[in-house]
Amino acid sequence: MTSENVEEYLEIMYRMKEKGIMPTTITVARELGISPASVSEMLVKLAKAGYIKHTPYRGATLTAKGEKIGKNILSKHRTIEKFLNKIGFPKNKSHEQACEMEHVVSDELERVIRNHMDHRKNIKKKGIIFLDDLERGMKARIVSIESGRMAKRRMEEMGLTPGTEIKIGRKAPAGGPVEVCVRGSCLVIGRGLAKKVIVEI
Amino acid sequence: MNGKIRIALAGNSNVGKSVIFNYLTGLNQHIGNWPGKTVEKAEGSFRFRGHEISVIDLPGIYSLSTYSIEETVTREYIAKEKPDVVINVVDASVLERNLFFTLQLIEMGRPMIIALNQIDTAEKKGIRIDHKKLGKILGIPVIPTIAVKGTGIYDIAEKAVELSGSGRKPKTIKYGDEFERGIQKIVKALKGFRSDYPPRWLAIKLLENDSEIVRMVLKNAPDAAKEAGKISGEIESIHKHSCPTAVTCEKYAAANRIATQVQKQTKKKGETLAERIHDVSTDKIWGYPVMILIILATFFSVFTFGDFFSAAIEDLLMGFLHLLEAQTGGGIILEFILGLLEGVISAITVILPYILPFYLILGILENSGYLSRMAFLMDNVMHKIGLHGKAFIPLMMGYGCNVPACLGCRIMETHRERMIAIFVTTLIPCAAVTAVILGLVARFVSVWWAIGLYLIDIAIVFALGRIAFRVLPGEPSGLIMEVHSLRMPDIKTTLKQTWFRTKDFVYIALPIIVAGTVLIRIASSAGMLATISELMSPVTVAWLGLPVVTGIALIFGTLKKEMTLVMLAVLFGTTDFASVMTPVQMIVFAFVTMLYIPCAATIAALVRETGWKRGLFITLFNIVFAIVAGGIFFRALSMFM
Ligand SMILES: Nc1nc2c(ncn2[C@@H]2O[C@H](COP(=O)(O)OP(=O)(O)O)[C@@H](O)[C@H]2O)c(=O)[nH]1
Ligand SMILES: [Mg+2]
Repeated sequence: MTSENVEEYLEIMYRMKEKGIMPTTITVARELGISPASVSEMLVKLAKAGYIKHTPYRGATLTAKGEKIGKNILSKHRTIEKFLNKIGFPKNKSHEQACEMEHVVSDELERVIRNHMDHRKNIKKKGIIFLDDLERGMKARIVSIESGRMAKRRMEEMGLTPGTEIKIGRKAPAGGPVEVCVRGSCLVIGRGLAKKVIVEI
Repeated sequence: MNGKIRIALAGNSNVGKSVIFNYLTGLNQHIGNWPGKTVEKAEGSFRFRGHEISVIDLPGIYSLSTYSIEETVTREYIAKEKPDVVINVVDASVLERNLFFTLQLIEMGRPMIIALNQIDTAEKKGIRIDHKKLGKILGIPVIPTIAVKGTGIYDIAEKAVELSGSGRKPKTIKYGDEFERGIQKIVKALKGFRSDYPPRWLAIKLLENDSEIVRMVLKNAPDAAKEAGKISGEIESIHKHSCPTAVTCEKYAAANRIATQVQKQTKKKGETLAERIHDVSTDKIWGYPVMILIILATFFSVFTFGDFFSAAIEDLLMGFLHLLEAQTGGGIILEFILGLLEGVISAITVILPYILPFYLILGILENSGYLSRMAFLMDNVMHKIGLHGKAFIPLMMGYGCNVPACLGCRIMETHRERMIAIFVTTLIPCAAVTAVILGLVARFVSVWWAIGLYLIDIAIVFALGRIAFRVLPGEPSGLIMEVHSLRMPDIKTTLKQTWFRTKDFVYIALPIIVAGTVLIRIASSAGMLATISELMSPVTVAWLGLPVVTGIALIFGTLKKEMTLVMLAVLFGTTDFASVMTPVQMIVFAFVTMLYIPCAATIAALVRETGWKRGLFITLFNIVFAIVAGGIFFRALSMFM
């Protein structure tokens, strides 16, 4: 078992890796809101335990072992936070709450929660349709976009806002992109993103 | 008043900004980079009625958030440099989406003109726009234009001069009550906070949760940020969407309202030819053969034209050079001068016959809108190396020349994707390498081995691309792209583009090719080349199993890859390579030539696009990789050949 503190560090560092920030004593200290001195001490410990590779003055990289834990905790965090929001826990507190719960929720519980929330799974039962389920020539209306923040913003800014009517054009073969006609023009959306756009017919 | 007037062209991509820019400035323009950013900056100027007017062609974007470097550049420019007039170029055939951007520009609070461009395209789609009404609603002069014909451009200049004196700003476009109330409150909380951006714009960006603006406000006016947070919550509970989504919806609703008020859709005249071509070019089955045909036709025509033309130029100029050489004695100064001349000639024999036509055809494909169809067709393939469809375009260009391919990687939105794309393009065999593969392997070993080398290269590109995709931090992003209707490319725009790109190529390639030629020439006259190739022999002979002289050939090849073959012929004193090299040696030599280093011009381009450190790292990586892989390849081949 790893300690909560170790998990917290690995989670933060994995999150930084995702964002493309190099974790250094300074940046990690800023993210955690504690002093660089204590961070630096902790990084040495983590390196000793084989969770990270740490070069003084350069920064730290997660080892495969450290990355696995960081990824696991971050995924739990996200699942819990989403779940809390969904069941009506106050939004401004859910992040903090998730921060505490992420260390005690087991992998199994996370899987159960995720399955419960997974939109893909809900589709067939509840009749939710994704953009990539549609065929050429079909008309639909955007309900919401469940992708990452950047891609969601971009798609909305390109005109795919909730309530907008769309028409499906060509679909490239073998999981290629989908052509979507919206607001008098045509967009091309990669299939991976199209799987995250919820529509209604 | 005869002062200088500064105007900026802004709008979505592909609306006609550059055509208008070219029309206004003619050849009096300068293309460079935004300081510290790899985003193209086109500036120019012209005189109009005694005024000196400077124009800047801002990058084509869809919003003023910070999704891409282009968006950041644009909003910072407008806020900080405060151009006297912003000319918003709008594609009349896609009015609604264009107005979404217009509304954001209005919020930046600069005097504005709308160039309602492409009214001919709109007309073809059966769209009629009441531009006077549009002007009245927005409080901005609207001028209908057809940029490719020059229609209305004169009026833009006239209005810009008129407006720059008055400083009249556009009307505020109001959103729903709940938004307006919130915006007012945030603006009030922002009182006393000084920034280059107008308060209303800041307030809206706070509601959009724009990370850069939130950070800035949080530091200097935390109360306003808190207020914005509270209001976001309220808006979320009303709209049942996140606040940024609600704001975007609201803006689009406004754009839609205005668009429906001013435009009339009459009946369209059947399916146009462009639409039918579009159907074929993106067809599940037909799309791919069409694409392959177009690519092959491009390369074939560039090569045949280039080979013919290049040989003619080379004969002429080199003959001249040899004459000069014969006339005079030796000496280091003379070698230096001859090296200079030879370098220039060698650059000319590449640029004029190959690069220029290559850029021209690419420009035609780009301006016709075909390239985005390629991105559409190749998206899923490119995802295998963590990139999306747009990356196929520079990759394909790489088969012509790595330099434009490297520059072409700018179409990738994020830094990470740019880096991966640039890295893999340096592994693509360019036309010069093709000349070596054909001249050596296809001719003296077999065509199948030549094809095999290309396939091996593709495998390497995928393998290394995947590794780069794994090790570089960050998330992959998907393809989100507007596809424009296919059209006849405008000749003038295409020619100018070709001209400026070629000029850019000369700037990058000429200095380093000339410097390299001089260096090698002096080294060779001092008899150093033999020593160097001896020094290289542990690698070339022992590890790669090649003849000693290939060391010299490879050194020359750093300038231009086809030089490896030329030098080989010179050093061996024969072009019948089969008599001096074994088939395995020829294959290995071509393999190493393909990968061992990006040529000098490509290194220069790499450094410009990625900085010294990354550029040199990529170069070094190529060298090491080619040596290691070459040796293994040699041993594997020796087993059964
Ligand atoms: N039919 C038509 N085509 C235009 C017009 N203005 C621009 N184009 C074409 O639109 C394409 C994009 O123009 P460009 O100036 O490069 O767009 P930019 O991305 O806004 O700089 C080019 O192929 C032009 O030839 C116009 O008024 N009518
Ligand atoms: Mg342009």
